[in-house]
Amino acid sequence: MSAVSAPRRVPRRLRAPALRSGLSGIGGVLVVLAIWQALSAAGTLPADSFPSMWSVVKAVVSDLGTASGWRSIGSTMAGWASGFAIGAVAAVLVGMGIGLSAFAFRSTILVIEFMKTIPVIAILPLAMLEFGGTLKMEYTIVAFGVFWPLVIQVVYGVRAMDPVVRDTAEALRVTGLRRFALIVVPSAAPFIATGLRIAAGVALILTIIAELIGGAAGLGRDMLVAEDSGTSALARLYALIVITGLLGIVISIAFRAAERRFLRWHERFRTIEGTVA
Amino acid sequence: MTMPTMRSRTAIADSAPRRWPAVLPLLGRALAGLWLFALLVVLWWVLSAGSTSPYFPPLSTIVSELGKLWVFHDVRVDLVPSLEHLAVGYVLAGVIAIAIATLFWRVRTARDSLSPLVYFLYVLPAPALLPAFIVLFGIGGSMKIAIIGFAALWPVLFNAIDGMQSIDPVKLDTARSLGMSHRQTLRWVVLPGAAPQIAAGLRNSLQVAILLMVVSEMVASTSGIGYFILNAQQSFESVDMWTGIIVLGIVGSALNFIFVAAERVVLRWYYGERALQTT
Repeated sequence: MSAVSAPRRVPRRLRAPALRSGLSGIGGVLVVLAIWQALSAAGTLPADSFPSMWSVVKAVVSDLGTASGWRSIGSTMAGWASGFAIGAVAAVLVGMGIGLSAFAFRSTILVIEFMKTIPVIAILPLAMLEFGGTLKMEYTIVAFGVFWPLVIQVVYGVRAMDPVVRDTAEALRVTGLRRFALIVVPSAAPFIATGLRIAAGVALILTIIAELIGGAAGLGRDMLVAEDSGTSALARLYALIVITGLLGIVISIAFRAAERRFLRWHERFRTIEGTVA
Repeated sequence: MTMPTMRSRTAIADSAPRRWPAVLPLLGRALAGLWLFALLVVLWWVLSAGSTSPYFPPLSTIVSELGKLWVFHDVRVDLVPSLEHLAVGYVLAGVIAIAIATLFWRVRTARDSLSPLVYFLYVLPAPALLPAFIVLFGIGGSMKIAIIGFAALWPVLFNAIDGMQSIDPVKLDTARSLGMSHRQTLRWVVLPGAAPQIAAGLRNSLQVAILLMVVSEMVASTSGIGYFILNAQQSFESVDMWTGIIVLGIVGSALNFIFVAAERVVLRWYYGERALQTT
Protein backbone atom coordinates (compact mmCIF):
# COMPACT_ATOMS: atom_id res chain seq x y z
CA MET A 1 0.00 0.00 0.00
CA SER A 2 2.94 2.29 -0.48
CA ALA A 3 2.10 5.62 -2.07
CA VAL A 4 3.97 5.16 -5.29
CA SER A 5 5.73 1.98 -6.23
CA ALA A 6 7.82 2.35 -9.31
CA PRO A 7 9.15 -0.79 -10.94
CA ARG A 8 12.55 -1.74 -9.57
CA ARG A 9 15.57 -3.53 -10.87
CA VAL A 10 15.88 -7.14 -9.78
CA PRO A 11 18.56 -9.40 -11.20
CA ARG A 12 17.16 -12.35 -13.12
CA ARG A 13 17.64 -15.53 -11.18
CA LEU A 14 19.21 -18.61 -12.68
CA ARG A 15 17.11 -21.64 -13.35
CA ALA A 16 18.92 -24.32 -11.34
CA PRO A 17 18.87 -22.50 -7.95
CA ALA A 18 15.20 -21.63 -8.60
CA LEU A 19 14.41 -25.30 -9.02
CA ARG A 20 16.36 -26.20 -5.90
CA SER A 21 14.67 -23.55 -3.77
CA GLY A 22 11.31 -24.64 -5.20
CA LEU A 23 11.97 -28.21 -4.10
CA SER A 24 13.12 -27.19 -0.64
CA GLY A 25 10.00 -25.01 -0.46
CA ILE A 26 7.79 -28.05 -1.01
CA GLY A 27 9.88 -29.94 1.53
CA GLY A 28 9.51 -27.10 4.03
CA VAL A 29 5.74 -27.08 3.73
CA LEU A 30 5.59 -30.85 4.20
CA VAL A 31 7.84 -30.69 7.28
CA VAL A 32 5.75 -27.94 8.87
CA LEU A 33 2.55 -29.89 8.20
CA ALA A 34 4.13 -33.01 9.72
CA ILE A 35 5.21 -31.09 12.83
CA TRP A 36 1.68 -29.70 13.16
CA GLN A 37 0.20 -33.21 12.98
CA ALA A 38 2.75 -34.55 15.48
CA LEU A 39 2.06 -31.76 17.97
CA SER A 40 -1.68 -32.44 17.72
CA ALA A 41 -1.16 -36.16 18.17
CA ALA A 42 1.07 -35.59 21.19
CA GLY A 43 -1.55 -33.31 22.72
CA THR A 44 0.73 -30.24 22.79
CA LEU A 45 -1.87 -28.48 20.64
CA PRO A 46 -5.15 -29.00 22.53
CA ALA A 47 -7.73 -30.51 20.21
CA ASP A 48 -10.52 -28.27 21.51
CA SER A 49 -8.82 -25.06 20.36
CA PHE A 50 -6.43 -26.12 17.58
CA PRO A 51 -7.50 -28.97 15.28
CA SER A 52 -5.02 -31.45 13.89
CA MET A 53 -3.54 -30.96 10.45
CA TRP A 54 -5.20 -34.10 9.12
CA SER A 55 -8.70 -33.10 10.27
CA VAL A 56 -8.27 -29.71 8.58
CA VAL A 57 -7.13 -31.30 5.33
CA LYS A 58 -10.14 -33.63 5.46
CA ALA A 59 -12.43 -30.66 6.13
CA VAL A 60 -10.96 -28.74 3.17
CA VAL A 61 -11.52 -31.71 0.88
CA SER A 62 -15.08 -32.33 2.10
CA ASP A 63 -15.89 -28.61 1.87
CA LEU A 64 -14.70 -28.51 -1.72
CA GLY A 65 -16.89 -31.54 -2.42
CA THR A 66 -20.15 -29.83 -1.51
CA ALA A 67 -22.28 -27.41 -3.47
CA SER A 68 -22.67 -25.10 -0.46
CA GLY A 69 -18.89 -24.90 -0.10
CA TRP A 70 -18.56 -23.74 -3.67
CA ARG A 71 -21.53 -21.40 -3.26
CA SER A 72 -19.68 -19.61 -0.46
CA ILE A 73 -16.54 -19.36 -2.55
CA GLY A 74 -18.72 -18.03 -5.38
CA SER A 75 -20.32 -15.40 -3.15
CA THR A 76 -16.94 -14.25 -1.90
CA MET A 77 -15.55 -14.07 -5.41
CA ALA A 78 -18.65 -12.20 -6.62
CA GLY A 79 -18.22 -9.58 -3.90
CA TRP A 80 -14.51 -9.36 -4.57
CA ALA A 81 -14.82 -9.14 -8.35
CA SER A 82 -17.67 -6.62 -8.51
CA GLY A 83 -16.15 -4.33 -5.87
CA PHE A 84 -12.70 -4.56 -7.41
CA ALA A 85 -14.03 -3.86 -10.91
CA ILE A 86 -16.05 -0.82 -9.83
CA GLY A 87 -13.23 0.63 -7.74
CA ALA A 88 -10.59 -0.06 -10.37
CA VAL A 89 -12.50 1.39 -13.33
CA ALA A 90 -13.41 4.51 -11.34
CA ALA A 91 -9.83 4.92 -10.10
CA VAL A 92 -8.29 4.56 -13.56
CA LEU A 93 -10.73 7.05 -15.14
CA VAL A 94 -10.51 9.61 -12.35
CA GLY A 95 -6.77 9.12 -11.93
CA MET A 96 -6.10 9.72 -15.62
CA GLY A 97 -8.21 12.86 -15.57
CA ILE A 98 -6.42 14.22 -12.53
CA GLY A 99 -2.99 13.20 -13.77
CA LEU A 100 -3.43 14.99 -17.08
CA SER A 101 -4.31 18.36 -15.56
CA ALA A 102 -1.79 20.17 -13.40
CA PHE A 103 -4.57 22.21 -11.82
CA ALA A 104 -6.67 19.17 -10.98
CA PHE A 105 -3.58 17.47 -9.56
CA ARG A 106 -2.70 20.37 -7.26
CA SER A 107 -6.30 20.73 -6.11
CA THR A 108 -7.13 17.13 -5.38
CA ILE A 109 -3.92 15.43 -4.31
CA LEU A 110 -4.14 16.43 -0.65
CA VAL A 111 -7.77 15.34 -0.43
CA ILE A 112 -6.92 12.00 -2.02
CA GLU A 113 -3.85 11.44 0.16
CA PHE A 114 -6.01 12.20 3.20
CA MET A 115 -8.84 9.92 2.10
CA LYS A 116 -6.33 7.12 1.53
CA THR A 117 -5.21 7.23 5.15
CA ILE A 118 -8.74 6.91 6.54
CA PRO A 119 -9.23 3.27 7.47
CA VAL A 120 -11.92 1.90 5.12
CA ILE A 121 -13.28 -0.05 8.02
CA ALA A 122 -14.56 3.26 9.42
CA ILE A 123 -17.28 3.47 6.79
CA LEU A 124 -18.30 -0.19 7.06
CA PRO A 125 -21.02 0.56 9.66
CA LEU A 126 -22.35 3.31 7.41
CA ALA A 127 -22.60 0.90 4.49
CA MET A 128 -24.24 -1.67 6.77
CA LEU A 129 -26.79 0.91 7.86
CA GLU A 130 -27.57 1.80 4.26
CA PHE A 131 -27.56 -1.59 2.60
CA GLY A 132 -27.65 -4.27 5.33
CA GLY A 133 -25.75 -7.53 4.91
CA THR A 134 -26.00 -7.61 1.13
CA LEU A 135 -23.77 -7.95 -1.89
CA LYS A 136 -24.31 -4.25 -2.50
CA MET A 137 -22.85 -3.40 0.90
CA GLU A 138 -19.95 -5.71 0.16
CA TYR A 139 -19.00 -4.21 -3.18
CA THR A 140 -19.47 -0.66 -1.91
CA ILE A 141 -16.88 -1.27 0.82
CA VAL A 142 -14.51 -3.10 -1.51
CA ALA A 143 -14.80 -0.45 -4.24
CA PHE A 144 -14.18 2.35 -1.73
CA GLY A 145 -11.12 0.58 -0.35
CA VAL A 146 -9.73 -0.14 -3.80
CA PHE A 147 -10.34 3.34 -5.18
CA TRP A 148 -8.12 5.58 -3.01
CA PRO A 149 -4.77 3.78 -3.11
CA LEU A 150 -5.23 2.94 -6.79
CA VAL A 151 -6.20 6.43 -7.91
CA ILE A 152 -2.95 7.76 -6.40
CA GLN A 153 -0.98 5.13 -8.25
CA VAL A 154 -2.71 6.07 -11.54
CA VAL A 155 -2.17 9.80 -11.00
CA TYR A 156 1.54 9.36 -10.35
CA GLY A 157 1.80 6.92 -13.22
CA VAL A 158 0.36 9.43 -15.68
CA ARG A 159 2.62 12.15 -14.32
CA ALA A 160 5.76 10.00 -14.36
CA MET A 161 5.95 10.27 -18.13
CA ASP A 162 9.50 10.19 -19.48
CA PRO A 163 10.33 13.83 -20.38
CA VAL A 164 12.07 12.75 -23.57
CA VAL A 165 8.99 10.85 -24.71
CA ARG A 166 6.78 13.79 -23.81
CA ASP A 167 8.95 16.29 -25.69
CA THR A 168 9.26 13.99 -28.70
CA ALA A 169 5.48 13.62 -28.85
CA GLU A 170 5.14 17.38 -28.70
CA ALA A 171 7.74 17.91 -31.45
CA LEU A 172 5.96 15.37 -33.65
CA ARG A 173 2.63 17.08 -32.93
CA VAL A 174 1.07 13.96 -31.47
CA THR A 175 -1.94 15.34 -29.67
CA GLY A 176 -5.40 14.53 -28.42
CA LEU A 177 -6.62 10.97 -28.43
CA ARG A 178 -3.54 9.69 -30.24
CA ARG A 179 -1.28 11.19 -27.61
CA PHE A 180 -3.41 9.60 -24.90
CA ALA A 181 -3.36 6.14 -26.48
CA LEU A 182 0.26 6.17 -27.66
CA ILE A 183 2.01 8.15 -24.94
CA VAL A 184 -0.02 8.45 -21.75
CA VAL A 185 -1.44 4.95 -21.39
CA PRO A 186 1.79 3.06 -22.14
CA SER A 187 3.85 5.12 -19.72
CA ALA A 188 1.28 4.84 -16.94
CA ALA A 189 0.66 1.13 -17.52
CA PRO A 190 3.36 -0.33 -15.22
CA PHE A 191 2.22 1.89 -12.34
CA ILE A 192 -1.40 0.94 -12.91
CA ALA A 193 -0.49 -2.75 -13.08
CA THR A 194 1.36 -2.60 -9.75
CA GLY A 195 -1.54 -0.67 -8.25
CA LEU A 196 -4.08 -3.18 -9.52
CA ARG A 197 -2.14 -6.10 -8.10
CA ILE A 198 -1.93 -4.50 -4.65
CA ALA A 199 -5.57 -3.43 -4.82
CA ALA A 200 -6.64 -7.01 -5.61
CA GLY A 201 -5.18 -8.17 -2.30
CA VAL A 202 -6.75 -5.28 -0.39
CA ALA A 203 -10.08 -6.08 -2.02
CA LEU A 204 -9.98 -9.67 -0.76
CA ILE A 205 -9.27 -8.50 2.80
CA LEU A 206 -12.23 -6.12 2.64
CA THR A 207 -14.49 -8.77 1.13
CA ILE A 208 -13.77 -11.06 4.08
CA ILE A 209 -14.39 -8.23 6.55
CA ALA A 210 -17.69 -7.31 4.89
CA GLU A 211 -18.77 -10.92 5.34
CA LEU A 212 -17.35 -11.40 8.82
CA ILE A 213 -18.77 -8.22 10.32
CA GLY A 214 -21.30 -7.01 7.79
CA GLY A 215 -22.93 -10.43 7.43
CA ALA A 216 -22.84 -10.67 3.64
CA ALA A 217 -22.90 -14.25 2.37
CA GLY A 218 -19.58 -15.94 1.71
CA LEU A 219 -16.52 -17.50 3.34
CA GLY A 220 -16.28 -14.79 6.01
CA ARG A 221 -19.81 -15.39 7.27
CA ASP A 222 -19.26 -19.16 7.23
CA MET A 223 -16.24 -18.62 9.49
CA LEU A 224 -18.32 -16.78 12.05
CA VAL A 225 -20.97 -19.51 11.91
CA ALA A 226 -18.28 -22.17 12.38
CA GLU A 227 -16.77 -20.27 15.29
CA ASP A 228 -20.15 -20.04 16.99
CA SER A 229 -20.87 -23.76 16.57
CA GLY A 230 -18.06 -24.65 18.98
CA THR A 231 -15.46 -27.39 19.02
CA SER A 232 -17.18 -29.68 16.53
CA ALA A 233 -16.85 -27.13 13.72
CA LEU A 234 -13.28 -26.16 14.56
CA ALA A 235 -11.71 -28.14 11.72
CA ARG A 236 -14.16 -26.52 9.32
CA LEU A 237 -13.22 -23.06 10.63
CA TYR A 238 -9.56 -23.74 9.84
CA ALA A 239 -10.53 -25.29 6.51
CA LEU A 240 -12.27 -22.01 5.59
CA ILE A 241 -9.12 -20.09 6.54
CA VAL A 242 -7.03 -22.37 4.32
CA ILE A 243 -9.49 -21.96 1.43
CA THR A 244 -9.40 -18.17 1.83
CA GLY A 245 -5.60 -18.29 1.78
CA LEU A 246 -5.68 -20.39 -1.39
CA LEU A 247 -7.98 -17.80 -2.98
CA GLY A 248 -5.42 -15.17 -2.03
CA ILE A 249 -2.65 -17.17 -3.69
CA VAL A 250 -4.70 -17.73 -6.86
CA ILE A 251 -5.48 -14.00 -7.13
CA SER A 252 -1.92 -12.95 -6.45
CA ILE A 253 -0.41 -15.40 -8.96
CA ALA A 254 -3.01 -14.51 -11.60
CA PHE A 255 -2.23 -10.80 -11.31
CA ARG A 256 1.53 -11.36 -11.44
CA ALA A 257 1.14 -13.55 -14.51
CA ALA A 258 -1.17 -11.05 -16.22
CA GLU A 259 1.22 -8.24 -15.45
CA ARG A 260 4.11 -10.13 -16.98
CA ARG A 261 2.04 -11.12 -20.00
CA PHE A 262 0.53 -7.73 -20.84
CA LEU A 263 3.54 -5.62 -20.05
CA ARG A 264 6.10 -7.78 -21.78
CA TRP A 265 6.49 -5.08 -24.43
CA HIS A 266 7.52 -2.55 -21.83
CA GLU A 267 11.27 -2.03 -21.79
CA ARG A 268 11.38 -1.77 -18.03
CA PHE A 269 9.52 -5.04 -17.69
CA ARG A 270 11.86 -7.05 -19.85
CA THR A 271 14.26 -7.33 -16.95
CA ILE A 272 12.24 -5.94 -14.11
CA GLU A 273 9.53 -6.98 -11.77
CA GLY A 274 7.18 -4.62 -9.91
CA THR A 275 7.93 -3.88 -6.27
CA VAL A 276 6.18 -5.77 -3.58
CA ALA A 277 4.28 -3.31 -1.50
CA MET B 1 42.33 31.11 9.10
CA THR B 2 40.14 34.02 8.20
CA MET B 3 39.49 32.86 4.66
CA PRO B 4 37.22 29.89 5.44
CA THR B 5 35.15 31.92 7.91
CA MET B 6 34.69 34.65 5.33
CA ARG B 7 33.65 32.15 2.77
CA SER B 8 31.15 30.42 5.00
CA ARG B 9 29.70 33.74 6.04
CA THR B 10 29.10 34.75 2.45
CA ALA B 11 27.57 31.38 1.86
CA ILE B 12 25.08 32.02 4.63
CA ALA B 13 24.43 35.51 3.34
CA ASP B 14 23.83 34.07 -0.10
CA SER B 15 21.36 31.48 1.02
CA ALA B 16 19.38 33.72 3.36
CA PRO B 17 17.47 35.79 0.80
CA ARG B 18 16.72 32.67 -1.20
CA ARG B 19 14.72 31.25 1.68
CA TRP B 20 11.70 33.47 1.33
CA PRO B 21 10.94 32.88 -2.31
CA ALA B 22 11.23 29.18 -1.52
CA VAL B 23 8.55 29.45 1.15
CA LEU B 24 6.11 31.39 -0.99
CA PRO B 25 5.46 28.74 -3.65
CA LEU B 26 5.10 26.27 -0.81
CA LEU B 27 2.37 28.45 0.68
CA GLY B 28 0.77 28.75 -2.74
CA ARG B 29 0.89 25.02 -3.17
CA ALA B 30 -0.70 24.52 0.25
CA LEU B 31 -3.51 26.88 -0.73
CA ALA B 32 -3.95 25.21 -4.11
CA GLY B 33 -4.18 21.90 -2.32
CA LEU B 34 -6.46 22.96 0.47
CA TRP B 35 -9.24 24.89 -1.26
CA LEU B 36 -11.03 21.75 -2.42
CA PHE B 37 -10.71 20.24 1.01
CA ALA B 38 -12.28 23.30 2.58
CA LEU B 39 -14.97 23.39 -0.09
CA LEU B 40 -15.93 19.79 0.56
CA VAL B 41 -16.27 20.35 4.29
CA VAL B 42 -18.36 23.48 3.69
CA LEU B 43 -20.54 21.61 1.19
CA TRP B 44 -21.08 18.80 3.68
CA TRP B 45 -21.97 21.35 6.35
CA VAL B 46 -24.45 23.25 4.15
CA LEU B 47 -26.05 20.28 2.40
CA SER B 48 -26.54 18.31 5.61
CA ALA B 49 -27.80 21.34 7.58
CA GLY B 50 -31.51 20.55 7.35
CA SER B 51 -31.07 16.82 6.92
CA THR B 52 -33.66 14.58 8.52
CA SER B 53 -32.18 11.37 7.07
CA PRO B 54 -31.39 8.97 9.89
CA TYR B 55 -28.16 7.99 8.15
CA PHE B 56 -26.79 11.43 7.36
CA PRO B 57 -27.36 13.77 10.30
CA PRO B 58 -26.33 17.44 10.02
CA LEU B 59 -22.58 17.95 10.32
CA SER B 60 -23.16 20.65 12.92
CA THR B 61 -24.87 18.09 15.18
CA ILE B 62 -22.04 15.63 14.64
CA VAL B 63 -19.41 18.23 15.49
CA SER B 64 -21.07 19.35 18.71
CA GLU B 65 -21.60 15.74 19.75
CA LEU B 66 -17.97 15.05 18.86
CA GLY B 67 -16.84 17.63 21.37
CA LYS B 68 -19.16 16.33 24.07
CA LEU B 69 -18.37 12.66 23.61
CA TRP B 70 -14.73 12.46 22.69
CA VAL B 71 -12.89 15.35 24.22
CA PHE B 72 -12.67 13.81 27.67
CA HIS B 73 -14.50 10.66 28.38
CA ASP B 74 -14.38 8.41 25.35
CA VAL B 75 -10.82 9.13 24.39
CA ARG B 76 -9.70 7.64 27.70
CA VAL B 77 -12.17 4.75 27.67
CA ASP B 78 -12.43 3.81 24.02
CA LEU B 79 -9.37 5.15 22.27
CA VAL B 80 -6.35 4.84 24.57
CA PRO B 81 -6.70 1.07 25.17
CA SER B 82 -7.14 0.50 21.43
CA LEU B 83 -3.98 2.45 20.67
CA GLU B 84 -2.08 0.55 23.37
CA HIS B 85 -2.98 -2.77 21.75
CA LEU B 86 -1.99 -1.34 18.40
CA ALA B 87 1.38 -0.09 19.64
CA VAL B 88 2.36 -3.31 21.42
CA GLY B 89 1.25 -5.56 18.56
CA TYR B 90 2.86 -3.42 15.88
CA VAL B 91 6.22 -3.02 17.59
CA LEU B 92 6.39 -6.73 18.43
CA ALA B 93 5.57 -7.58 14.82
CA GLY B 94 8.27 -5.27 13.45
CA VAL B 95 11.00 -6.56 15.78
CA ILE B 96 10.13 -10.23 15.27
CA ALA B 97 9.83 -9.85 11.50
CA ILE B 98 13.25 -8.22 11.13
CA ALA B 99 14.79 -10.84 13.43
CA ILE B 100 13.32 -13.68 11.35
CA ALA B 101 14.40 -12.00 8.10
CA THR B 102 17.94 -11.70 9.47
CA LEU B 103 17.91 -15.39 10.36
CA PHE B 104 16.71 -16.19 6.84
CA TRP B 105 19.50 -14.08 5.40
CA ARG B 106 22.10 -16.06 7.37
CA VAL B 107 20.52 -19.49 6.88
CA ARG B 108 19.56 -19.75 3.24
CA THR B 109 18.02 -23.22 3.61
CA ALA B 110 15.59 -21.89 6.19
CA ARG B 111 14.56 -19.14 3.80
CA ASP B 112 14.13 -21.43 0.82
CA SER B 113 12.11 -24.01 2.70
CA LEU B 114 9.89 -21.62 4.64
CA SER B 115 9.25 -18.92 2.03
CA PRO B 116 6.15 -20.65 0.54
CA LEU B 117 4.65 -20.62 4.03
CA VAL B 118 5.55 -16.94 4.49
CA TYR B 119 3.96 -16.20 1.13
CA PHE B 120 0.78 -18.07 2.09
CA LEU B 121 0.45 -16.14 5.34
CA TYR B 122 1.26 -12.90 3.53
CA VAL B 123 -1.54 -13.26 0.97
CA LEU B 124 -4.00 -14.78 3.47
CA PRO B 125 -6.48 -12.01 4.37
CA ALA B 126 -5.65 -11.48 8.05
CA PRO B 127 -9.26 -10.87 9.22
CA ALA B 128 -9.98 -14.48 8.23
CA LEU B 129 -7.84 -15.54 11.19
CA LEU B 130 -9.89 -13.60 13.70
CA PRO B 131 -12.40 -16.36 14.60
CA ALA B 132 -9.50 -18.77 15.14
CA PHE B 133 -7.69 -16.28 17.36
CA ILE B 134 -10.85 -15.82 19.42
CA VAL B 135 -10.98 -19.59 19.99
CA LEU B 136 -7.28 -19.61 20.93
CA PHE B 137 -6.97 -16.46 23.04
CA GLY B 138 -10.49 -15.60 24.19
CA ILE B 139 -11.77 -12.06 23.71
CA GLY B 140 -9.45 -10.05 25.95
CA GLY B 141 -6.63 -7.63 25.25
CA SER B 142 -4.13 -10.43 24.62
CA MET B 143 -6.21 -11.68 21.69
CA LYS B 144 -6.21 -8.21 20.17
CA ILE B 145 -2.48 -7.77 20.58
CA ALA B 146 -1.92 -11.26 19.15
CA ILE B 147 -4.06 -10.72 16.04
CA ILE B 148 -2.66 -7.23 15.40
CA GLY B 149 0.89 -8.50 15.80
CA PHE B 150 0.31 -11.61 13.72
CA ALA B 151 -1.30 -9.69 10.88
CA ALA B 152 1.34 -6.96 10.91
CA LEU B 153 4.21 -9.46 10.88
CA TRP B 154 3.91 -10.74 7.30
CA PRO B 155 4.14 -7.57 5.22
CA VAL B 156 7.33 -6.56 7.09
CA LEU B 157 8.81 -10.05 6.89
CA PHE B 158 7.95 -10.45 3.21
CA ASN B 159 9.50 -7.10 2.31
CA ALA B 160 12.52 -7.53 4.59
CA ILE B 161 13.37 -10.90 3.06
CA ASP B 162 13.01 -9.45 -0.42
CA GLY B 163 15.03 -6.35 0.45
CA MET B 164 17.87 -8.33 2.01
CA GLN B 165 17.91 -10.72 -0.92
CA SER B 166 18.11 -8.06 -3.60
CA ILE B 167 21.16 -6.25 -2.23
CA ASP B 168 23.76 -5.58 -4.88
CA PRO B 169 26.12 -8.61 -4.83
CA VAL B 170 29.04 -6.26 -5.48
CA LYS B 171 28.43 -4.67 -2.09
CA LEU B 172 28.43 -8.03 -0.38
CA ASP B 173 31.63 -9.04 -2.19
CA THR B 174 33.23 -5.76 -1.17
CA ALA B 175 32.26 -6.37 2.45
CA ARG B 176 33.78 -9.85 2.26
CA SER B 177 37.02 -8.66 0.72
CA LEU B 178 37.28 -5.98 3.41
CA GLY B 179 37.17 -8.81 5.92
CA MET B 180 33.92 -7.71 7.55
CA SER B 181 32.31 -10.21 9.89
CA HIS B 182 28.74 -11.37 9.32
CA ARG B 183 27.64 -9.09 12.08
CA GLN B 184 29.38 -6.08 10.56
CA THR B 185 28.04 -6.92 7.11
CA LEU B 186 24.55 -7.10 8.57
CA ARG B 187 24.92 -3.80 10.41
CA TRP B 188 26.60 -1.77 7.66
CA VAL B 189 25.51 -3.37 4.39
CA VAL B 190 22.44 -5.57 4.66
CA LEU B 191 20.21 -3.63 7.05
CA PRO B 192 20.82 -0.21 5.44
CA GLY B 193 20.43 -1.74 1.98
CA ALA B 194 17.11 -3.33 2.87
CA ALA B 195 15.89 -0.36 4.96
CA PRO B 196 13.81 1.36 2.24
CA GLN B 197 11.92 -1.82 1.52
CA ILE B 198 11.58 -2.69 5.21
CA ALA B 199 10.05 0.77 5.62
CA ALA B 200 7.60 0.05 2.80
CA GLY B 201 6.66 -3.16 4.59
CA LEU B 202 6.27 -1.34 7.90
CA ARG B 203 3.96 1.21 6.29
CA ASN B 204 1.88 -1.55 4.77
CA SER B 205 1.81 -3.26 8.18
CA LEU B 206 0.63 -0.12 9.89
CA GLN B 207 -2.48 -0.08 7.69
CA VAL B 208 -3.11 -3.75 8.40
CA ALA B 209 -2.55 -3.23 12.13
CA ILE B 210 -5.05 -0.35 12.29
CA LEU B 211 -7.54 -2.44 10.34
CA LEU B 212 -7.17 -5.40 12.69
CA MET B 213 -7.35 -3.14 15.75
CA VAL B 214 -10.79 -1.98 14.63
CA VAL B 215 -12.02 -5.32 13.28
CA SER B 216 -11.01 -7.21 16.44
CA GLU B 217 -13.01 -4.73 18.50
CA MET B 218 -16.00 -5.01 16.19
CA VAL B 219 -16.13 -8.79 16.36
CA ALA B 220 -15.35 -9.49 19.99
CA SER B 221 -15.20 -6.66 22.47
CA THR B 222 -17.14 -4.41 24.76
CA SER B 223 -14.80 -1.44 24.45
CA GLY B 224 -12.60 0.31 21.94
CA ILE B 225 -13.22 2.56 18.97
CA GLY B 226 -14.35 -0.33 16.76
CA TYR B 227 -16.89 -1.49 19.30
CA PHE B 228 -18.08 2.09 19.78
CA ILE B 229 -18.77 2.61 16.07
CA LEU B 230 -20.45 -0.75 15.50
CA ASN B 231 -22.50 -0.50 18.70
CA ALA B 232 -23.71 2.98 17.69
CA GLN B 233 -24.67 1.65 14.28
CA GLN B 234 -26.55 -1.31 15.72
CA SER B 235 -28.50 0.88 18.11
CA PHE B 236 -29.20 3.36 15.28
CA GLU B 237 -27.34 6.19 17.04
CA SER B 238 -26.12 7.54 13.74
CA VAL B 239 -24.73 10.78 15.20
CA ASP B 240 -22.57 8.80 17.61
CA MET B 241 -21.55 6.51 14.77
CA TRP B 242 -20.45 9.48 12.70
CA THR B 243 -18.36 10.88 15.56
CA GLY B 244 -16.64 7.50 15.79
CA ILE B 245 -16.00 7.46 12.04
CA ILE B 246 -14.48 10.92 12.18
CA VAL B 247 -12.30 10.10 15.19
CA LEU B 248 -11.10 6.93 13.49
CA GLY B 249 -10.36 8.86 10.31
CA ILE B 250 -8.33 11.41 12.26
CA VAL B 251 -6.45 8.69 14.15
CA GLY B 252 -5.67 6.81 10.94
CA SER B 253 -4.41 9.93 9.21
CA ALA B 254 -2.37 11.05 12.21
CA LEU B 255 -0.65 7.67 12.57
CA ASN B 256 0.14 7.67 8.87
CA PHE B 257 1.49 11.19 9.04
CA ILE B 258 3.71 10.31 12.01
CA PHE B 259 4.99 7.28 10.16
CA VAL B 260 5.84 9.20 7.00
CA ALA B 261 7.57 11.94 9.03
CA ALA B 262 9.62 9.35 10.96
CA GLU B 263 10.49 7.58 7.72
CA ARG B 264 11.74 10.85 6.20
CA VAL B 265 14.06 11.35 9.18
CA VAL B 266 15.33 7.79 9.47
CA LEU B 267 15.84 7.31 5.73
CA ARG B 268 17.13 10.82 5.06
CA TRP B 269 20.37 9.43 3.62
CA TYR B 270 18.38 7.29 1.19
CA TYR B 271 16.23 10.11 -0.13
CA GLY B 272 19.36 12.23 -0.48
CA GLU B 273 21.08 9.49 -2.46
CA ARG B 274 18.10 9.02 -4.73
CA ALA B 275 17.73 12.75 -5.34
CA LEU B 276 21.39 12.84 -6.38
CA GLN B 277 20.82 9.98 -8.80
CA THR B 278 17.84 11.55 -10.50
CA THR B 279 19.36 14.98 -11.02
